[in-house]
Amino acid sequence: MPRTFEQANRRLKWTMLAPALGFVALMIVFPLVFTLNLSFTDAFGAVNADNNYIGIQNYIDALTDMRRFWPAAWRTIVFTVGAVTLEVVLGLALAMLMRKAFKGMRWVRTALMIPLLATPVAIGILWLLILDPTNGIANHLLGFVGIPPQEFLGSVSQSLPTLMLIDVWQWTPMMTLLLLAGLTTLPEEPEEAARVDGASSWQRFRHIIVPMLWTTLLTALVLRAVDALKTFDILYATKGPGGGSNFEVETLNVYAYGLTFDYQEYGLASAVLVLFTLFIIGVVVLLRLRPGRKSA
Amino acid sequence: MSLIRPPTRELVTARAGGITSAALSRRSFGKLFVAAAGAVAGATALSACAPRTGAPGPDAPLRVMAINHVWSQAISEYFPEFEDLIGRRVTMQMLTADQLSNSYNVKLNASASDIDVMMVRALQEQLLFARNGWLADLTGRTEDADYDWLDFQQAPRDRSITRGEVLSVPVVTERPALYYRKDLVEDFGGAPQTLDDLLSMSLELADRKNSFFGYVGRGQRSGAVTQWSSFLYSHGGDFTLEDGSSGIGTPEALAAYEYYGRLLKETGPPGVTNMSLEQAMPIFAQGKAAFYIDADAIYSNFLDPGISTVQDTVGFAPFPAGPAGSKPHNIPSWSLGINTFSRLQDDAWAFVRWASSPEMVARLQAEGIPGARQSAWSDPATLASFPADLAESMRLNAENGIGHDRPEVIQVGRARDIVGRPLVAGILGQDVAPVARDADTEFAEFLVRDNRQQEF
Amino acid sequence: MSAVATRTHAATVTPPPVVLRTPRRSPWGWLRGVAITIVALIFSLPIVWMIAAALKTNVQVMDPSVGLFFSPTLENFRNILADGEIARSMGNSLIVGVVSTVLSAVIAVPAAWAVGRFSMQRTGSIVLVARIVPAVSLLVPWYYLFAQIGLVGTYTVLILSHMFVSVPLILWIMIGFFEGLPVELEEAARTDGLTAFGAFWRIALPLAAPGTATASVLAFIFSWNNFMFALILADEDTKTMPVTLFNFISYASTDWGGLMAAAALMTVPVVLAAVFGQKYLVAGLTAGATKG
Repeated sequence: MPRTFEQANRRLKWTMLAPALGFVALMIVFPLVFTLNLSFTDAFGAVNADNNYIGIQNYIDALTDMRRFWPAAWRTIVFTVGAVTLEVVLGLALAMLMRKAFKGMRWVRTALMIPLLATPVAIGILWLLILDPTNGIANHLLGFVGIPPQEFLGSVSQSLPTLMLIDVWQWTPMMTLLLLAGLTTLPEEPEEAARVDGASSWQRFRHIIVPMLWTTLLTALVLRAVDALKTFDILYATKGPGGGSNFEVETLNVYAYGLTFDYQEYGLASAVLVLFTLFIIGVVVLLRLRPGRKSA
Repeated sequence: MSLIRPPTRELVTARAGGITSAALSRRSFGKLFVAAAGAVAGATALSACAPRTGAPGPDAPLRVMAINHVWSQAISEYFPEFEDLIGRRVTMQMLTADQLSNSYNVKLNASASDIDVMMVRALQEQLLFARNGWLADLTGRTEDADYDWLDFQQAPRDRSITRGEVLSVPVVTERPALYYRKDLVEDFGGAPQTLDDLLSMSLELADRKNSFFGYVGRGQRSGAVTQWSSFLYSHGGDFTLEDGSSGIGTPEALAAYEYYGRLLKETGPPGVTNMSLEQAMPIFAQGKAAFYIDADAIYSNFLDPGISTVQDTVGFAPFPAGPAGSKPHNIPSWSLGINTFSRLQDDAWAFVRWASSPEMVARLQAEGIPGARQSAWSDPATLASFPADLAESMRLNAENGIGHDRPEVIQVGRARDIVGRPLVAGILGQDVAPVARDADTEFAEFLVRDNRQQEF
Repeated sequence: MSAVATRTHAATVTPPPVVLRTPRRSPWGWLRGVAITIVALIFSLPIVWMIAAALKTNVQVMDPSVGLFFSPTLENFRNILADGEIARSMGNSLIVGVVSTVLSAVIAVPAAWAVGRFSMQRTGSIVLVARIVPAVSLLVPWYYLFAQIGLVGTYTVLILSHMFVSVPLILWIMIGFFEGLPVELEEAARTDGLTAFGAFWRIALPLAAPGTATASVLAFIFSWNNFMFALILADEDTKTMPVTLFNFISYASTDWGGLMAAAALMTVPVVLAAVFGQKYLVAGLTAGATKG
């Protein structure tokens, strides 16, 4: 960018940016201060009831809670790592599959966009209907191929994997579309050169395509990971408050929600939310601390 | 609640290509941009110009927040009558129980005045809301002789009073009913009279390979607690002992946990630990279970051919007797209260009074919604709408009934999560005793803390 | 949230050198066709099931052996459209979606231009922090704040909350878009005597119209789908469609037919948007290909 262009417009650029920046700041500053403040109090029942400042007691309580907090943190990680890994792998595979143009491409892409754009609340309810252990179509179909009925979301052990698969259903298309866009922009020459040199298609994929696609892949990964960590609608719609009878899908977000709305423990809930937000920021930073970055 | 789904980069980049000029000319796009901005700014300013401060005008509606329940649907049919009476529009927002509770917590934390009448659960939210000062004191208003406050049954009336103040008025009462299949129990000589019979008949009738279940009921940790309470009482236990300490570690409680767990584990449907009322009810309604115990207020679902395939074969019986006899709960499940911050206190009371008046309760009970007024219960005309065996079961259950179906504490949600754990362990086939011991310890600690919070 | 990553990515993106090859008629090609068909089915069948359920009676919905072969009934649609509530909620969703999207575009597009043209990624990424904060931590304070200024239950508060989602979304898409536009056009306009703002207004903005449209469609869809904000911030007169869906889940039973019919009604505009957007996508792709 030329220096003159930049200098002449110092005022203008801030004017252009101010409304958006101001709006987001206005909406977010109060909640942040509010939550941080509450996290150091013993607020219970109502946020404006008589509270006492109790220092970092809520943080100590949360971090020493082996019954709910740590299992929830662990589930959050398992859910995110499991679902996102599958989404990246399947998304990449699908993108490779769809890379070359084919007849009906348009309709396949439209089909891929539907899980992405349909209302999450409706999706959750729909999957409950499909996976109902007694009256659902899923078990009915499994019956045709001789697989005994599964409990799916009704089971303590199957719930988290089932929800991970629903997440995969919902978000693999996004990965595919993102990676597909990345793939179409890759230059053809390196791959052609490798082909001429006799590299197998797997070698070309592994050593040419994946490295060239790396930036897109990481961007998609960070975006997806943040949303996966915060997954809520579908967990709540299918398993209700507390993440099921044995807390089997209670992630940090579900736990914080329960502390706020079911237990009215606003102090502790705020501390958990602060820890959770820090955790997400940590993950983002970790994923972006990669070698060969141009700027930070 | 993921805030933003990342867009497909493809959509964006692809369109940077060639279709630009064809789509919009520069000038017309600029005009569109300005026009849209202007319109939007105007609309926002307009809606922002009408802040809700000061006394609401005669056009402001009376806002009722309610559970999506047959009662709410039935009463809303009569709204025009009431609107003529007070000359104000009534709007009713119907939500599920969890959503309703969450909305109260968010809105009343901000001293919101956009709720006038609140449908609350006297046993779930009232103590907390009383502590927070969210429910208006109705004591003086209920003293109106025409209203006849003493006509309300003793047990529900007691639950409406916190610290000597009437904070809510019961409109729907509930007892458990044993729903059973008349066609299937013929060989056994009728419905089970005892819990032992219930278990043995369920075991015999269950054919789980072919998706037929002996007993279906709630198995979800928190949702099941209220129904399990009748099993607990009938085994001779209670959530808390006389001195207010934890009662879930007693041998009676353990027996009730084990019984309930066995009943659902060995004769119940798959996935039962994910079932609350909404999931369990359809299984019985679809004719896939022989027995089902849940609130009697929901009986009409089984008589509705749009939902039920058992409308001709469903029977109703009182709660079966356990070692300590038949001790079901008999509770005010839903009540009406008035938001302290409402600016329409008088109209709100007019609504509550109208909706819970002897005439309206009799009218609704005649439509099949069990109310809390003695006058309605002693009126044969209102009972005629219930099937005869159901009316009899309701009468018996009310006679033996215990006035609560969950721990009577401030943090009911947390208490239910604790006392529900051993129940789930039982359904999962785990050893119940150690889980019950652990839950007992946790509950004891919880009660100490909760008691401290009750000093308000 | 990751404006930097966005920029580096965007730099690699335009123009897309697409090489169209006719698929080879080999066994692999055939297998690929089958695989793609299966994938498309997996992603679309649940929605088909939703529409099928909408055309069934409640007893049929709960009977899996009915499958996809039954005589459809429009009863559910008739029932839900008979009471005006669905139409009103749809109207509310439309008002909130359109106004919040337009307002968001009005403030986010110039901001994106500033970020893209003046390399203000670091500043821009502050806005994207909005993506990280869990919504649970926003609800109580927001309600508290808006109740103080008497805005709760109005369209205004719903629009503001939806804008909190849309502004970062549109900003994020448009930064990449403006970076992809050649800066030379604006420079030339400036030598012809236009101010920097004039260059934005006359040159960059019209060129960015398709990108703005795409970003706006997506922002509208996410507003259309948003449940949590409307649940808490709307009231009976302003509530939007996702909240109304829960009307079909009552105390004891779920009206599956009605619920699925309402869900299908909600999903149709979105599917139409996807089909419609697809058209532009294909046009853009081929245009890029012929150009390069």
